[in-house]
Amino acid sequence: MFSKKRSLAAVALATGAALALAGCAGGGADPEATYDPDEKVTLDLAFWGNDVRAGLYNEAIAAFNEEYPNIKVNATFLGFPEFWEKRQTEAAGGGLPDVMQFDYSYLRQYSENNLLLDLDPYLGGIIDTEPLSDQILQIGVVGDTTYGIATSTNAWGLFTNPVLLETAGVDEFAGGTWDEYADWMTEVTEASGGKFWGGGDFTGRIQNFELQLRSEGSYLFSEDGEPGFDEERLTEFWESGAELRDGVVVPQQRVEEVLPKGAFDSALAASELTWDNFGAGYLAGLGEGYTELGLLAPPITKEGAKDLYLKPSMLHAISAKTEHPEAAATLVNFLVNSPESGAIFGTNRGLPASETALEGAELDPLSEQVRAHEAAIADRLGDAPPVPIVGYGTLEEKFRVLGTELNFGTKTVDEAVSEFFNEMDIVLNG
Amino acid sequence: MSTTATRVIVTKQPSTQRRLVRKPRPEHLTRPGQRSRARRETVAGYAFLIPWLIGFFGLTLVPMVYSLYLSFTRYDIFSAPKWIGLDNYIRLFTNDPNFIQSAQITLVYVLVGTPITLVAALLVAMLLNYRDRGAAFFRSAFYAPSLIGASVSVAIVWRAMFSSNGPVDNGLSLFGIELGGWIGEPSLILPMMILLAVWQFGGTMVIFLAGLKQIPKELYEAAEMDGAGPWARFRAVTIPMLSPVIFFNLLLGLIGAFQVFGSAYIISNGTGGPAGMTNFITVYLYKTGFSDGRMGYAAAIAWVLLIAVAIIAAILFRTQRNWVHYSGDNR
Repeated sequence: MFSKKRSLAAVALATGAALALAGCAGGGADPEATYDPDEKVTLDLAFWGNDVRAGLYNEAIAAFNEEYPNIKVNATFLGFPEFWEKRQTEAAGGGLPDVMQFDYSYLRQYSENNLLLDLDPYLGGIIDTEPLSDQILQIGVVGDTTYGIATSTNAWGLFTNPVLLETAGVDEFAGGTWDEYADWMTEVTEASGGKFWGGGDFTGRIQNFELQLRSEGSYLFSEDGEPGFDEERLTEFWESGAELRDGVVVPQQRVEEVLPKGAFDSALAASELTWDNFGAGYLAGLGEGYTELGLLAPPITKEGAKDLYLKPSMLHAISAKTEHPEAAATLVNFLVNSPESGAIFGTNRGLPASETALEGAELDPLSEQVRAHEAAIADRLGDAPPVPIVGYGTLEEKFRVLGTELNFGTKTVDEAVSEFFNEMDIVLNG
Repeated sequence: MSTTATRVIVTKQPSTQRRLVRKPRPEHLTRPGQRSRARRETVAGYAFLIPWLIGFFGLTLVPMVYSLYLSFTRYDIFSAPKWIGLDNYIRLFTNDPNFIQSAQITLVYVLVGTPITLVAALLVAMLLNYRDRGAAFFRSAFYAPSLIGASVSVAIVWRAMFSSNGPVDNGLSLFGIELGGWIGEPSLILPMMILLAVWQFGGTMVIFLAGLKQIPKELYEAAEMDGAGPWARFRAVTIPMLSPVIFFNLLLGLIGAFQVFGSAYIISNGTGGPAGMTNFITVYLYKTGFSDGRMGYAAAIAWVLLIAVAIIAAILFRTQRNWVHYSGDNR
């Protein structure tokens, strides 16, 4: 009861603080909001991932308990889609876990529905803001209030499979335009002897579309949910993959068979455009015979454009209804900032966003590669888009599904475009 | 025959007992005492029903009525439902290609899969009925897939079996049939799902077997004496005598098939793919409600499914008089 009252007080304080400190991330510490280390507390922690990540979380929790033996942490994990299905049901029932690994694309929906704890009262207090840059702190802000702390950032990249390239006898992609990338994929596919393909259909990913839009000075969706493209532009984008789908990229049939793995980590595709923190998972999926991957800058739409950006690979957020906000904030601080956490997770959750965590992290070659990648693309990095609109996750998935249908040939580009705009209308306008 | 006999005994027993107890009572006490006892029995009856009633109202009726209400709203779980009248239903039928596809493949699955399951079950049941030796073993063996059929592991095994270069693909290649993997192929995944359903014919088979055992041997003997061959005996004796059981299995099979979910969800990894060909109505409903958080729309899908099943069941009941023969029924 006591802590519940305190959490109410904290929320009330937070509202005031948010008004007072609007726009000034990392404001003053609230002396009330400290965790009493003698209080026995149990926290639920939920994250998405796989066995590898679950092991890392267990290590991190053990390290956390050395410092805070009275906070018992019950961790559960699921795959990404199931994770969000479960959260939605819990959100309806009011029983979200105390601490959650959180995704950028759901941050707006959950915070606007008052499901997440306002973290402003803990910033600079329980949650150390020194090691976090303003840019990082801004990531978790929705409407002037901080609801999440980014654990790590990542950027869009192009992974390549050195073993398959060697088999095919094709050199690493030298960088260049989308057309040049397509030519390179064609070369790999032709040299593979039918065993693997040069890559996947990049027009099936909404992020590649976003990259091209950003190069043209546009965007996917504005803060108000206005799309930055029309039917014509989307048609052009999907049409640009037509030749690739004709035998150059992995057939969708094979992709379906290796689910839940992808074509790249099943060694069916020699390259894949995705977030740069996927490398460790890919290496684990590829298994024996793989010690390294290629990580390159994505193809260029327009020279000199700021088409890339740093995205939080994930955030930590706290349920608004937690009975132990201070303990939960303590755990979040540990997971985000502590050198122990940095050492344990490495780049499993992306390149650590916190300087102290990054210092603690002993970067393996792959992590070093990610750091080098993010440094190499620095001059292509622009401002991150606004926190994704409500329903972005649904649209991203719809885009992907339509991409698979294009690959199967069960839908024409025109049908797919009209279906996507129809879905956009439903999601954006209700 | 035997069931009607037992029913007579069961209904007779309490009435005779009651009369025995009641008789010695003085006339003026009988009526009020009887009434209060009747009331007491009613109360007791309802008291025993309470657990079931709570379940029925709390878990079935109220949620159903609520979902009917939700189907006329836009509801994203997070904010309160907003009344939008028939919009969900209108969109389902006029502006949702996914739903149309989903309804089509579900109908194909039900209308093709159920009859095949029934035929397979009946054939095996007749084989088992023919010989007694080892019947118990084979009965269990054929029933086993139904026990484990809906489990996760079976769906995963089927995934592996029907992938490219899996046992089925390689096996068919031996006969020169090059189909490739079925799992990722939009045109082959539905036949595979139907095959998976047919494979689980065990429950239906056991009911058929029980029905076959009920058919009096004399009928076959009489038919044989009249010169009826095996096919004529099957058509003129087995089918009519078995028709109530066939009707029962057909009805349950159709309703069950409409609700196919687990196997499709696991085999497609929850995507309803390839190209939406395992996106059965229940899978689409689930994804709409729980992945996209469009509960109002999902509720509308659920009601369309319910009404469709009800209509098909009603049609089936209507056709009963033309082909279902109940014993003692002189129509």
